[in-house]
Amino acid sequence: MIGDAVERSLRSPRVLISVSELFSNAAGSRMPDVQPDLLTDEVARRVVAACPTPALKVDEAAGRKYLVLNYGECIACSRCVAAGEGAFRYTERVARCGVRREALIRRWDIQSRAEVVQDEPALSQAAEQIRALVGQALNIRQVDAGSCNGCEGEIVALTNPYYDLERFGIHFIASPKHADMLLVTGPVTRNMAAALKNAYDAVPSPKLVVAVGACGCSGGIFAGGHAVVGPVDAVIPVDGYIPGCPPTPSMLLTGILQVLRPFSSPWRRRKS
Amino acid sequence: MTVTLPNSEADRSRALDLLGAANTRLVSIFGSTDDNHVRYVHYLIDVNGREYRMLSSPVTGSIPSATPIVPAAAWYERELHDQYGIECEGHPDPRPLLFHENWPENVHPMIDDASHVPWAEGQYHFLRVHGDGVCEVPVGPIHAGIIEPGHFRFSVVGDTVLHLELRHFYTHKGTEKLFENTPVMDAVMIAESVSGDNCFSHAVAYCQAIENAFAISVPPRAQAIRLIGLELERMLAHIADVGALCGDVGFTVPAAYTARLKETLLQASTRFFGTRFWRGIAVPGGVTRDLSSAETGEFGRMVTAAAREFAQMARLILHTSSVQNRFESTGILTAEIAKQLAVVGPAARASGIGLDVRRDHPTGRYRDINVDVPQYTHGDVLARARIRIDETAISTHLINETLRELPAGSVLVPVPLSGNAEALSAVESPRGELLYWVRIRDGKITRCHIKSPSFQNWPAVPLAMPGNIIADFPLINKSFNLSYSGCDR
Repeated sequence: MIGDAVERSLRSPRVLISVSELFSNAAGSRMPDVQPDLLTDEVARRVVAACPTPALKVDEAAGRKYLVLNYGECIACSRCVAAGEGAFRYTERVARCGVRREALIRRWDIQSRAEVVQDEPALSQAAEQIRALVGQALNIRQVDAGSCNGCEGEIVALTNPYYDLERFGIHFIASPKHADMLLVTGPVTRNMAAALKNAYDAVPSPKLVVAVGACGCSGGIFAGGHAVVGPVDAVIPVDGYIPGCPPTPSMLLTGILQVLRPFSSPWRRRKS
Repeated sequence: MTVTLPNSEADRSRALDLLGAANTRLVSIFGSTDDNHVRYVHYLIDVNGREYRMLSSPVTGSIPSATPIVPAAAWYERELHDQYGIECEGHPDPRPLLFHENWPENVHPMIDDASHVPWAEGQYHFLRVHGDGVCEVPVGPIHAGIIEPGHFRFSVVGDTVLHLELRHFYTHKGTEKLFENTPVMDAVMIAESVSGDNCFSHAVAYCQAIENAFAISVPPRAQAIRLIGLELERMLAHIADVGALCGDVGFTVPAAYTARLKETLLQASTRFFGTRFWRGIAVPGGVTRDLSSAETGEFGRMVTAAAREFAQMARLILHTSSVQNRFESTGILTAEIAKQLAVVGPAARASGIGLDVRRDHPTGRYRDINVDVPQYTHGDVLARARIRIDETAISTHLINETLRELPAGSVLVPVPLSGNAEALSAVESPRGELLYWVRIRDGKITRCHIKSPSFQNWPAVPLAMPGNIIADFPLINKSFNLSYSGCDR
């Protein structure tokens, strides 16, 4: 019967998603994006009131008001989309995956209705070293430091025939001693802090750490709880952040690749 | 049907008497404090498999342990002590449960200020197995695959496991405390983050508890959409579990095949409901998404197609001799142990205990339909796999029936944002009976207890291990597929 199963499997449709379709695709993530031309003081007030985490706030500086959206704190509840009167909608593309902490934050000047564009922060030194060392091949040790398992489900999905992470030479491996990257989920709980630190210490240098999900980036909905220490970078140094609750497989893939690559040209090396 | 009897000291001894009776099942034991900071213990008991009964009594000093009467009480009473500092006299294993060595002994977060708890350095004592040739194999908390953390301590002779001790709660996040003082409409987001792969079951159980508290009638169309979400969540879980079981015996072809089917269903969810895991769909008062009639047909066809492919592959899996060889008689959970530990869900049904909330304590749309409850008696990996295969077909049928007769009307009604009440509600999550009990004061949650099927079932996993070889542990563990976060909360 093994042969029958294999035969049936061979007849199944080819579902592999192309790289161009995958990269930064955020369909189904329920992460918000802003239509700046519809932004008003009233909309800003409403969405900030609706947001259950500190992801949305209004900043005032030098007499101007800014709407600030921190993707790292967004639990994708979509309340801003409901309250935002068209100024907020589900994003189809999230480029803020695998970026440094500062790049998770976007700002809009409410009066001029324009985004305040910031320079992309430079990649970490470890990212440059690993890029030079491993090229296309990357070994990842995933560590759940307290997650609800939502992120784990999506990380596992990366290995299914739609996403097939292995085509990029990226493998999930068992031992941190063989890893180039730790992919860490969860608000780090008190009970996992020591184990996470041990796993980090076991990874040979140079090493990369990517914090995954709202909880990994900021503590998410569990921030401030008595049994959690905080986001991943409260315990070990982090090179890149992937927001989302949970991030979709394409966001995870984007983030993992982006940590190793310059922001604007994800496929430069491959195409050349 | 819930009957809350008057609170008195006598209720506690009545609860213990009731737990000793043959026609009862322990559902949960948990604590609370009233407005005057008096601590209470609540015993939630299923009587005759048809009626949830809650008995509550105030606590001064210690209380007699229920564990000698029902072993299933063991973890609940350890949690009661950790959270509320209530001593259960005569408990055979009073070690801390939720908190590890880093937590000071005298801090109980549900009654003490837990905002700045100092780090402690205690010691945890595992049960030691002595004898010639006995070795200890520690595994975890970080495991080889992409799995949640937990610690397993095997005592083995050669490959054969004599004893397995679990140590969990690595992902304990103090979730029940986080509910406190959260507005009713916001707390559903906490419920969705208890166990990510069962997030919709958690959301529905929470929402139904709120709706029961305020006696709100949810529109029939919303109830139908909730049923679709609950059954789809079950399909996703069962399809993935059967594939993962194949992966654990080195049969990777069906593992990849089922992973594809699961992803197909997640993408159908994205297309028709805007979310892969149905987060944000259930809210107190109904649901936030509706289906157009054109979408109804197409969604149903996609679900049916995936289920058909799964059923055909499942037949091939079950007829593969190497699968039979590894699944059969592996990791047997006897009916007797399952009953003593009040095991629920697919694990109970595979050991001859026919529990299913959808049939026994129906809510919402389940009140109007018949749910087949498959049952096997062997209690091995094969029986748990068969339950999942059968239930996938049943869920598909339920989804199609519901889509065919989708009631007309709205999908959301308002709920009061203030007021005081308390209530419970249960759903059959993919892992079994999931129950929320909430107390509301001025529109905010002041206590939320989550009875999770994983908390209930984890103590049974080690008892399915003795006599099996250590290499079969991943397979046996996967056949239960319990949530660590759902257990640890």
